[in-house]
Amino acid sequence: MIPDRTGPPIGRVVATEQAPSSPYQFNFWTAVDATIGIGAIVRVDGGDGTVVYAVVIDGVAYSDLGEALHDVLATDGQPDASPAPTVRREIRLWTARVLRHLPEEPMRPVPLTAVHAAGEADVELALRMESYLRTSPPTGVPVGVYVAGGMRAPVRLDANFVTGPESAHVNITGISGLATKTSAVEFLLGSLFATFPASKGGVAAVCFNVKGADLCFLDQPGTLTEEDRALYEDLELSPVPFEQVHYFAPFKADGINLNTLRSHPDLAETVQPLVWGLQEVLDYHDVLLNRDDLDAKAAAFIDFLADRVVDREFRDDWGTVHRVRTFTDLEGLFRAIFDGLEQSARGEIWRTHHIATIRKVRNRLLNISVRCKGLVSDDGSASDLPFGAFEDRSVYVIDVAGTDQLAQELVFTRVVSRLREHLERRDLGVDNVVVFVDELNKYAPAEGPETYVRKMLLDISERGRYLGLVLFSAQQFRSQVHRRVVGNAGTVLFGRMDMDELATPGYHVLSPTTRSKLAALPKGELMVRHPHFTHPVFLRFPRPAVMTGPDGLAAFPPAPDVPFEDAVVRHLVALDRNIAPAEVKAILVDRTETEVREALIATRRAKPETPLAYFRAALGPRVRRSVAPDRRAGSTPLQPVEDPYAS
Amino acid sequence: MLGRAEDGRETLPSAGQHARRRRLRALLRECKAVPGAGLPAGTAGAPIQTPFGTARAVEGDTVSRRPVAVAALREGVAFVDGIQRFSVEGWFGVIPVVRGYVAAAALWREDGALSVQAVRTEEFLVAPCTCMPASVVDELRALGFPVYDSQVDDRRHPLLDTQRAVEVLDRRRRWVERAVVDAVRRDRPEAWIVVDGSLRGYDAHAGSERLLGVIKSHETQFLAGADLDAALTLPAGCRTTVSMRRGQKGNPVHSWYLRLWDWADRHILYGLLRIERPPLPDTPAACDAISGWLLAERAPVARDVRRDRLLYPMHQVEEVLRARAGGWQ
Repeated sequence: MIPDRTGPPIGRVVATEQAPSSPYQFNFWTAVDATIGIGAIVRVDGGDGTVVYAVVIDGVAYSDLGEALHDVLATDGQPDASPAPTVRREIRLWTARVLRHLPEEPMRPVPLTAVHAAGEADVELALRMESYLRTSPPTGVPVGVYVAGGMRAPVRLDANFVTGPESAHVNITGISGLATKTSAVEFLLGSLFATFPASKGGVAAVCFNVKGADLCFLDQPGTLTEEDRALYEDLELSPVPFEQVHYFAPFKADGINLNTLRSHPDLAETVQPLVWGLQEVLDYHDVLLNRDDLDAKAAAFIDFLADRVVDREFRDDWGTVHRVRTFTDLEGLFRAIFDGLEQSARGEIWRTHHIATIRKVRNRLLNISVRCKGLVSDDGSASDLPFGAFEDRSVYVIDVAGTDQLAQELVFTRVVSRLREHLERRDLGVDNVVVFVDELNKYAPAEGPETYVRKMLLDISERGRYLGLVLFSAQQFRSQVHRRVVGNAGTVLFGRMDMDELATPGYHVLSPTTRSKLAALPKGELMVRHPHFTHPVFLRFPRPAVMTGPDGLAAFPPAPDVPFEDAVVRHLVALDRNIAPAEVKAILVDRTETEVREALIATRRAKPETPLAYFRAALGPRVRRSVAPDRRAGSTPLQPVEDPYAS
Repeated sequence: MLGRAEDGRETLPSAGQHARRRRLRALLRECKAVPGAGLPAGTAGAPIQTPFGTARAVEGDTVSRRPVAVAALREGVAFVDGIQRFSVEGWFGVIPVVRGYVAAAALWREDGALSVQAVRTEEFLVAPCTCMPASVVDELRALGFPVYDSQVDDRRHPLLDTQRAVEVLDRRRRWVERAVVDAVRRDRPEAWIVVDGSLRGYDAHAGSERLLGVIKSHETQFLAGADLDAALTLPAGCRTTVSMRRGQKGNPVHSWYLRLWDWADRHILYGLLRIERPPLPDTPAACDAISGWLLAERAPVARDVRRDRLLYPMHQVEEVLRARAGGWQ
């Protein structure tokens, strides 16, 4: 049902031989003071029941001044001359791109009749929103408010085109600091959680915090203006922070202080360590070893280790039984092989693998725990995301901002791979997962060597929508991101853009005026492209109802790093404020750091009612039993191994 | 300018020709003459029907010059102009049957903004009614057009008869212009009304102190001798003193010249307006103020080849009328 027109006409369609009216584009004039601008949605009624909806993409104003010289003459060359008694006639001529014809067929040129500003109901029809808002159940996800001439209309995306299966993924582009990319993603995520149709199952989000404290305070309320609240009201959303946020961060190199800016004592208990051992890492050795390292022989030996050795009983050729679970165990195996070959004088081949290959693999693998120190532990203690127990409407923030690129790539690859594996098996705990990756320029560049992370992102982009694995990504320069990654994003948001970026070929489909508007877009405004929208539309969105990184750091300053014992105390006190530091320190006497770390990770993971008792128990017999070989008790973190093959 | 070689062929101007022209213009200046634009032309334009009229000075004994201070009129003012179009739709024998269209409009200016105040249009036929069977004339009228007689002579001349028809058109245009002026006077009795062209035919409004005629063409010269020299060689920003000329029906009209733009190196009539006002005793006293605000009308400059004399609001009236003329444009 086509809604009635609202208000008097604002202009009239004009067509000339040089600028005719076509089924997809037309021109119209308005009064000089008409409240219309680039991005405004208008309607043209054909008089025979047909209606055309269009969005303004360009506008010009000109007067009947024949030559600039005439103005000079008229003012006697005086810029400050008195105003002329007659105001020169001006015209506001707009170009509009058709969004929709009603009825859709036959598609005819836009009639040369009056033009009206679109009302709220018109906006819904113009953007084809009725196809998913008037269905049962509706699948609309609020993305922003269309504002023009004092009229505000909520605009919603189709959840089936945001999280699949029809189309999926959201990509946002814009200048750092001005495009409010992170804010837009946070808002959209909150909106998605608030309105995600129950029929589509549960939804969770995994966010990689790659810089500063951007995503470190998603559970804390932010500061909102009256305008923000009005926008939330328009969108029928509650401005509340995320209710369930789980933080994960690797340790720093000291192995005890978490590598995150969310380390304030009041918040520390909410951050889980992200620590992986040999088992977690070995399957992703491709990420950590470059192509020069991974020749066929080395790969074969690593596969041998993964299939035949790791996490199972393995008897070497000299009678020793190994159970390799940690890097330390692995070093023991290598040492046994080298010693055995040397003592038995059996030459340079062990189980078809040349000793040089074995040495090379040893060097590379053992170096991983050094290069990714804090994330990868030597001792096998692991603390991971709760794969299989993901909770609906929960956000899992993995803070890798403080880690180096290698560790970040390992985290991306492993987490996304595990998500995909669980979603394929439908045992993740939720049916849909949104993965948010910022700085896509860095992780999926258009050029440069093929990396495991880029392959992973491509895989999500191309196959994720069938699995419920959705990529929300952001970058400063869309043109510098792999085309298939951004090209597969069904919904694309543009914040304020850099003019150089807008000059690249990918933006030539936009009118010069639209590009100019993008180059000057204020904070809180986005251009949104969505499969249901024939042409991108400009929308306003409110600040997310969460604390920003800078505000969070001001309210919750990070705690300074402390010595090992004090850090253990801090971890335990964060779980239970009644724990006495002296009591903890007494427990730590004569304990190795490895033991303590394992016990601490186990305690944090379990979140027991009495953390100190649990910690003590974990540190006691149970932990001692798991440290089987005597030589391991005294093992020290591995030192970087000199690479004899380095050129 | 092209030169001509000894064998008669045209040649590009030589350096010598340029030099001679420069010397000519210098000589003119030395002789106190004012150089013109020097643009090539083939004819001097259409023949002038009424080259001379009569007038006598009423502000002083002879026509003299007065500088004018620019002062924009802040009051509301209406600008009135008209257009006419015709097409020869057929021939009754050798006599043309003309379809005519006339329109006039008034644009009201207030706070610098122009808006349409009144519009009158008429579409009609001009046919040799006296030479046609009455039944044919009736059939023409039945089409819905007023039909006017073209008043042809007994001796036929297709071009002359077309001119006669156009004279009918002229009269109808002046009639709708007057109708528009009447409408403005009815709706805004206190308004200034500026009419494009002579006040000929506005006798009914004689005495109207706020009615002005602005004449751009100077086909008819009412002054002679030193008075004419003083008028046509006015410097920019000056007016002449007021004269009184006789109107069409012998009614007097006050008239004076006003130069909007400097005419040196251009045509002698460049930027020259002749202003008409019904003969009121206060005309000499009001003349400075009226000239002052007409001088202010130099800006904005109209987008027209007549921009030196065509006031911008008057140009806008023409634009409105052209836009409304539809197929008559």
